[in-house]
Amino acid sequence: MRLGTIIGWEGNATELIRQSAYDIRSLKKHGECAAAGGGCKLCELPSPLNQETMCSNAIVQCQVGNLTDCVLIDHSPIGCSSENAKFNLSMHVGLSRRGKPLQNTMNISTNLKERDMVFGASDKLRNTIREAKERFDPKAIFIGMACATAIIGEDIDSIAEEMEPEVGVPVIPLHCEGFRSKHWSTGFDIAFHGVLRQIVDRHPKKKQKDLINIVALWGTDYFTDMLKPLGLRVNYLLDCASFDEIKQASEAVATATFCNTLGGYMATALEENFSVLQIDAPQPYGIKGTDEWLRAIAKVVGKEKEVEEFIESEHKRIEPKLKEFREYFKGKYGIVMTGSAYAHGLITVLAELGIGREAALVFHHDPIYDGAGKKQDTLKELVETYGEIPYYTVSKTRAFQLPQLLKRAKADFLIIRHPGLASVSGHLGFPTLAMGDEHIPVGYDGILRVGEILKGVLARTKFNQLLKRHVKLPYNDWWIKQDDPFLLSNHPEVLDDIAQKVKANY
Amino acid sequence: MTENTETKKKKKSNSISDPRYACAVGATNSVVAIRRAVPIANCSPGCQLKTTAMLTFENGFQGVTFAGGGNMPSANSTENDVVFGGLKTLEALINSTLKIYDGDLFVVLTGCVGELIGDNVPDLVGRYRKAGYPIVYANAAGFKGNNIYGHEVVVDAIIDQFVGDYKGEKKKGLINLWFEVPYYNQNWRGDYQEIARILRGAGFEVNVLFGPENNGVEDWKRIPQAQFNLLVSPWVGLKNVEHLKEKYDQPFLHISEIPIGEEATSAFIRKVVDFAGIDKTQSEEFIKKESQIYYYYLEHFAEFFAEYWYGMPSEFAIAADSSYTLAYTKFLADQIGLIPRKVIITDNTPEKHRPEIEKLFHNLSEGVDVQVEFEEDGYLIEKAIDNTNFTSTKPIILGTSWEITLAQKKGALFFEVSTPSSETLIINRSFIGYKGALQFLEKIYSTSVGGR
Repeated sequence: MRLGTIIGWEGNATELIRQSAYDIRSLKKHGECAAAGGGCKLCELPSPLNQETMCSNAIVQCQVGNLTDCVLIDHSPIGCSSENAKFNLSMHVGLSRRGKPLQNTMNISTNLKERDMVFGASDKLRNTIREAKERFDPKAIFIGMACATAIIGEDIDSIAEEMEPEVGVPVIPLHCEGFRSKHWSTGFDIAFHGVLRQIVDRHPKKKQKDLINIVALWGTDYFTDMLKPLGLRVNYLLDCASFDEIKQASEAVATATFCNTLGGYMATALEENFSVLQIDAPQPYGIKGTDEWLRAIAKVVGKEKEVEEFIESEHKRIEPKLKEFREYFKGKYGIVMTGSAYAHGLITVLAELGIGREAALVFHHDPIYDGAGKKQDTLKELVETYGEIPYYTVSKTRAFQLPQLLKRAKADFLIIRHPGLASVSGHLGFPTLAMGDEHIPVGYDGILRVGEILKGVLARTKFNQLLKRHVKLPYNDWWIKQDDPFLLSNHPEVLDDIAQKVKANY
Repeated sequence: MTENTETKKKKKSNSISDPRYACAVGATNSVVAIRRAVPIANCSPGCQLKTTAMLTFENGFQGVTFAGGGNMPSANSTENDVVFGGLKTLEALINSTLKIYDGDLFVVLTGCVGELIGDNVPDLVGRYRKAGYPIVYANAAGFKGNNIYGHEVVVDAIIDQFVGDYKGEKKKGLINLWFEVPYYNQNWRGDYQEIARILRGAGFEVNVLFGPENNGVEDWKRIPQAQFNLLVSPWVGLKNVEHLKEKYDQPFLHISEIPIGEEATSAFIRKVVDFAGIDKTQSEEFIKKESQIYYYYLEHFAEFFAEYWYGMPSEFAIAADSSYTLAYTKFLADQIGLIPRKVIITDNTPEKHRPEIEKLFHNLSEGVDVQVEFEEDGYLIEKAIDNTNFTSTKPIILGTSWEITLAQKKGALFFEVSTPSSETLIINRSFIGYKGALQFLEKIYSTSVGGR
């Protein structure tokens, strides 16, 4: 449930590193003795106002709902399935990026109504499991729990167990109801937990010494370019993967990822249960990060010598172009707003491009990742290598704070993932890059790819200035004039007038 | 008919693959369609991103305005709310929304969580109303119905809790326009503008309640003053106009079919003018002028229609909501001569309205008798289209992005007309009335030119 995760915090990055006490947590995770008490407390700044956001159930849909030969049943009213069309689009794009044939997602909703809330919906679920088998003849059937079914107490575990012999394929219950976790990334852990328990081969007969798992989403296959020189084949998990590709994850030699927030749980479980090594290194962003990441992988496969040659030639190859970009972006500033570990990667790339970074926003902060690897403290790695970020904000998709966040720090553009914030920032006059293909910034070439794209983003500045002059945000002037994005949290008394007015009239 | 019954027999549950609508709490987007109105989503995290994604993004990437999308206040209920009740969270959300939003109307929509745990939201919202805040409450739990159901609930909630009682005069020639479901009907913005343009041209003053020509809450406040309510939809909104009849003793004119093309639009105008009993001089003059322009363009189109050597579709299948399915099928079958081979309504039309709608499809045009099917399960919809025997080599499928792979498989032309649509960008588009009909022809036949 990511119990240590926070979704509200303000300060500078160094202070968050101190409060997170990664090292102490890491020692504890590895069963060693750490300083007693105190050290692990990380306080969250709560907000009375929240806005449109994502949930774990949606994440499960965009993970196990995007497999090529497995079905996901949404055990829920129909609304919980209304993002399926979007994930179908993601799947189409992902399949084409990975060179796989086009197909639709395989999804079914139990489409629950009011009477199901009263009388229960277990028979509907049983019938839908049968229907899933009949319609799609899948290799596995997942069941996603929703808020409504969790509240009425649907026993999806028992039904899954009961139905498995009948349909003859794994039936995998996933407890991903939206209210259960404050952050959507829990959905990744739930999806991975499900496949680890019931799909990944528990008794792998062989080891594929040239196979590396990359925990990813729908990104373009840039990892092959980086890992082929080390003699490795990439096994992408989970989006666009097949049952068999997931099954062989335990046969791989190692697991790595483009984002520790995403991949930590899967990589840790594969290491603990099947001795598939988790790469303990900085994430593969920027020059130093990519160097170290490659070295860590090379060590696993015994290619230490080859990797040094590869690194050296890569450095040489990108140098002229990188120099050009650094000249081009001189004096420019950028703000990254994404999930936590991925943000650290993107900020690294901005730093390599010579772009200034006064502020950053992450939707959540995990004081430690599941792997707890000594070299996986991505925020510390970022600050130690590239310097302080004076305005470091943790806040989950709260667009109302953008006027304050964007007026106190220099910015010529924003890089944003997850819907909602980019268009609002655009209304405030900033061109934004929606980093849809998450693999774009990865590796040495990733720095150059981002540089190229950002040139195009900056070219749109006038469009956004025009919007700023003509579009009115829904917030009043009093709010726009404030300087503290967390004013409602830090000074709850500003809401007293409303509460008192309501009380006086009651 | 036989195929339809067979499909029904095979159906074991009411489960749905490839959904074509969101749930009731997605009606937050109907609130967004009212100028300077703010929806307050009292639901779980995820509910709004999902429903809004389907209605406003994967539906022609329409986008939102003002307090929609990322700017929408949402309770994002937690386990704590489920166990101990969510009213405290909602109260904090309402207080802070009222504090920082610059809105004229606030609509609280409660989703599954609030309704299942039994929070007394009407009481809480009532306290704010009593204190003078323009705020209303709607039960929009996803298990109660889809986003169309939610839209009707929201409309009634605003009428009852915000517009309120009225005993004054009615104004002759003033019409309240009840029409498509905002965002869900993907061309709604353009369609509202075209219908309003036509009605104004015919001599009416039009109270447009949603979209680019809505002036905000002042239009809602003057609903009771209108001479009558005009409902242009097969069934959506009937509940609302019946409610208005009872509440304000306000008559309604129900026209099931959205007019497309000169014949239908001119007949539509005459029907409304007759019902209103206003002078016909202006409307006839308007019809004359619009018809002249329409046929000026149609004459040009006729050259393509007659002379294009490289093939064009002669048959179609359509799967869309009841409004668009009826309007598009009628126009294409009656005015253009495209043969409907499979017609499926996907919006979960309530059973009681189905016989009337079926009748309309039996009388589309002389010699054209369509047995419309009602199906909301995408798997069965796609199967029905897949099993359709097209006799020509290039039929056209008018549907949703779920049919892309099917169209490829069948070698059919493909054009998105319904939710969800992720292959289309819609900014200002309309396929209805005089002007929209021509745009519709452009789009339909553009799919077949260029060697496709």
